[in-house]
Amino acid sequence: MKWLLKVIEKVRPNFEEGGKLKAFHPVFGALEHFLFAPSAATIGAPHIRDPLDLKRFMSMVIISVVPCVFAAFYFFGLRFLAMIIVSYAAGLTVEALFSIVRKEDINEGFFVTGILWPLILPPTLPLWMVGLGVAFGVLIGKELFGGTGRNVFNPALVGRCFLALAYPKQMAASFLEPSHDVAGRLLSWVDGSTADAISSATPLVLAGRDEMVATSHMFLGSVSGSAGETSALLIILGGGFLLLTRVANWRTVAATIASFFALTAALIASDKIVYNSMPGVFGPAIWHVFAGGLLFGAFFMATDPVTSPTTNAAKWMYGIIIGAVTVLIRNFTGYTEGVTFAILLGNIIAPILDEIVISVRIRRLRSEG
Amino acid sequence: MRFRGGHNVLLKGRPDSAIKVMPEPKVLYMPLRSERFTFSDIHVKDGQKVNGGDILAKDPDNYSVPMLAPRAGTVRLEAVENHIVIEDVAQREERADIVEEEMLHIEKEMGAGGIKRYKLLSLGAWQFFYDAFTGELPDPLGTPQAIIVSTLSLEPFLARGDVQLHRRLLNFTRGLEQLQSLLEYQPIYLAMPNITSEFANLIRNQIRGYAWVKMLEIPLKYPYDNFAVLARRLDLKAGKGPVWAVRTEGILAADRALTETKPCTVRILSIGGTGVNFPSHLKAIPGYPLKRIRDQHVFEPAARMLNGGILTGSILSEEAQGVDVECRGITVLPEHIDREFLGFVRPGWDRDSYSGCFLSSLRKDFRERMTTALRGEGRPCVACNYCDEVCPAGIMPYLIHKYLYADLIEEVEQARVDLCVECGLCSYVCPSKIDLRTQFVEAKDLIAKEKEEIRQEQLRQEEARKREEEARKQAEENNE
Ligand code: SF4
Ligand code: SF4
Repeated sequence: MKWLLKVIEKVRPNFEEGGKLKAFHPVFGALEHFLFAPSAATIGAPHIRDPLDLKRFMSMVIISVVPCVFAAFYFFGLRFLAMIIVSYAAGLTVEALFSIVRKEDINEGFFVTGILWPLILPPTLPLWMVGLGVAFGVLIGKELFGGTGRNVFNPALVGRCFLALAYPKQMAASFLEPSHDVAGRLLSWVDGSTADAISSATPLVLAGRDEMVATSHMFLGSVSGSAGETSALLIILGGGFLLLTRVANWRTVAATIASFFALTAALIASDKIVYNSMPGVFGPAIWHVFAGGLLFGAFFMATDPVTSPTTNAAKWMYGIIIGAVTVLIRNFTGYTEGVTFAILLGNIIAPILDEIVISVRIRRLRSEG
Repeated sequence: MRFRGGHNVLLKGRPDSAIKVMPEPKVLYMPLRSERFTFSDIHVKDGQKVNGGDILAKDPDNYSVPMLAPRAGTVRLEAVENHIVIEDVAQREERADIVEEEMLHIEKEMGAGGIKRYKLLSLGAWQFFYDAFTGELPDPLGTPQAIIVSTLSLEPFLARGDVQLHRRLLNFTRGLEQLQSLLEYQPIYLAMPNITSEFANLIRNQIRGYAWVKMLEIPLKYPYDNFAVLARRLDLKAGKGPVWAVRTEGILAADRALTETKPCTVRILSIGGTGVNFPSHLKAIPGYPLKRIRDQHVFEPAARMLNGGILTGSILSEEAQGVDVECRGITVLPEHIDREFLGFVRPGWDRDSYSGCFLSSLRKDFRERMTTALRGEGRPCVACNYCDEVCPAGIMPYLIHKYLYADLIEEVEQARVDLCVECGLCSYVCPSKIDLRTQFVEAKDLIAKEKEEIRQEQLRQEEARKREEEARKQAEENNE
């Protein structure tokens, strides 16, 4: 790869102070450091550093959703590829514009948003909405706060929230019955205009009419839903990997799912929620865990380190709040799916939770030494 | 408090337990500065002949701790900047530079305990003592609330206590006894790994009669051997008086000074790190030419030589010519040159990371060949919480970083940046490559300086008030 390095060195002057393309320095820098690790060395103690950098940190999230991405191809067809491309193109444009204006490096954070974004969308959503939503999310949810590391909200969820509020009809009408063929839809393209694209109701909508989809189908993923959230199995697989790498914190995930499960079970047991077609307490509670975006949200959205609380104790509280609020929104409001709003609410509360934990810790530190 | 945080950085080049005796040098270069000391008060003249054990210089700011000549020779003051050079070095019978009459005089003045302390200081053993809370040199005449003795060196790589202990166990226990005689009833805590091991049992048998020595087990995790961490682990409070802390070599030095009344000028150093061909221990004297050590042990052409370990050591500049009086180890790291292609997607079988983001986490512990590379680009904090998890002091590095960024010095103080033991782990693990440790060291300095200024100001005001009062009294008296 020596030749490539030579090429980079050759064009570098154009992007430095005094060069013609100086304005694009962030873009050049991002590309260079994407290809080659930077040459910087430590200047003082500690003289060595952990091999983990932010690129690797973020790549772990991307690797962990790969099973979900393949599932989306399998169930919903090649159109999903177009959604990914649009998502990256629109989001990166916003990101690059802002780093040029701000004269900062382009941040790795977007690579994660760009892949998570199509995964939480209905699979036949018009492509212009895919682009618009991600641009909105990155702009309002992240850049206005100062970029990755300073944002309060998860940009993908801000985008999704925006679309849900601005275009509720299209959002609801863009769900697609997944393919039940053995070969899936790996080679086909299905969008709103194709014949077999009869918009289909998600399990949670059906549950509202007391039509319960089999839990096993939801576990494997052959149900209608957002592109990446249908298969509980693959989410747990990828999410488990993310927990093992310690990029996502297990406390958040455990607290979210546990509180969700506990509250749902309690509500069913006290007859606040009744499913005639599925008797018992445990069965419907598990069904709810697998339904909709809960698992995807718990593993990949709530655990975003930037927008979740930093301290471990606050992570527990944060997860409990998200789980509980999701239950309440799902069952007692007009919205059938509550994870997006619950996590955004959690994002707002996260700094407050941190503040509480930090003030307790600081008070305890006061008596030290 | 319990132990918390900590992490072992595993890199290649761990010194084995051999101690190699370095050949006698012809010339010694004694640096006038070391980690804690600045020997600005020179006691010798250019061209003067000195004997081993003679006082070359003293540090007036640190209880006049002396720098002793390790060998006989001729002093050159101007030859190398910031060094005292000793030429025509010869190894003759060492002699303590304490005149008998002076001893008698001191004995009359201070009693038997006083003379022991005087011996410790003037024979070079006191240099091995630390104040556990501040890391500074403690007052040799003070009374500690406890003494912490650590036999460990967990930072990669410093001279290991066990290496010295195994050879000189008798001297060690005698040294403990000597130290005890300086105290009244205060405890001595002996920090050891694995107190059920055979070796620990051996020590326990040796010190069975010493009721005042308490054993404290410490897990083998960096930086649990840090004195401030140990003091907090033992719930010792700074308000109740100083805590002296000393390592194996310090106990051995105390034994030599007090039992044999001989100067302590030999040091055991480690030489380790990725850039060393045979990582080991060296028996050398202060002033030993660094160049000879380098020629013999370092094979990397572009290497960074550190005085101390990789996490807290300082770079040995071109200017430094000899081993300083506080040196505990020399660590060599190759400077980083290669730029990896698509480095962040490699499986990373050969990387040792705190996180689980590399395939190597499936592997048993191994030592990585590390260089000085930063391994990433600086980024804003992503609140991953790794720094909090590893911090042994229980403070929140990311929080202090945030406060410092916003210039909120008062909050920084409240977040107890002063508890930071400067272990460097937070900087090490940070995926955003933030130089947390450096920032905290600077912040601590700044806060200390401000406090000192306020204190000075108060003193001045006090003084002014007193003077005024006196003047008034004077005036009143005159009026009468
Ligand atoms: S804040 Fe200080 S004590 Fe804590 S990890 Fe960083 S350097 Fe070590
Ligand atoms: S390790 Fe670095 S990025 Fe992570 S919380 Fe600490 S300062 Fe922030």
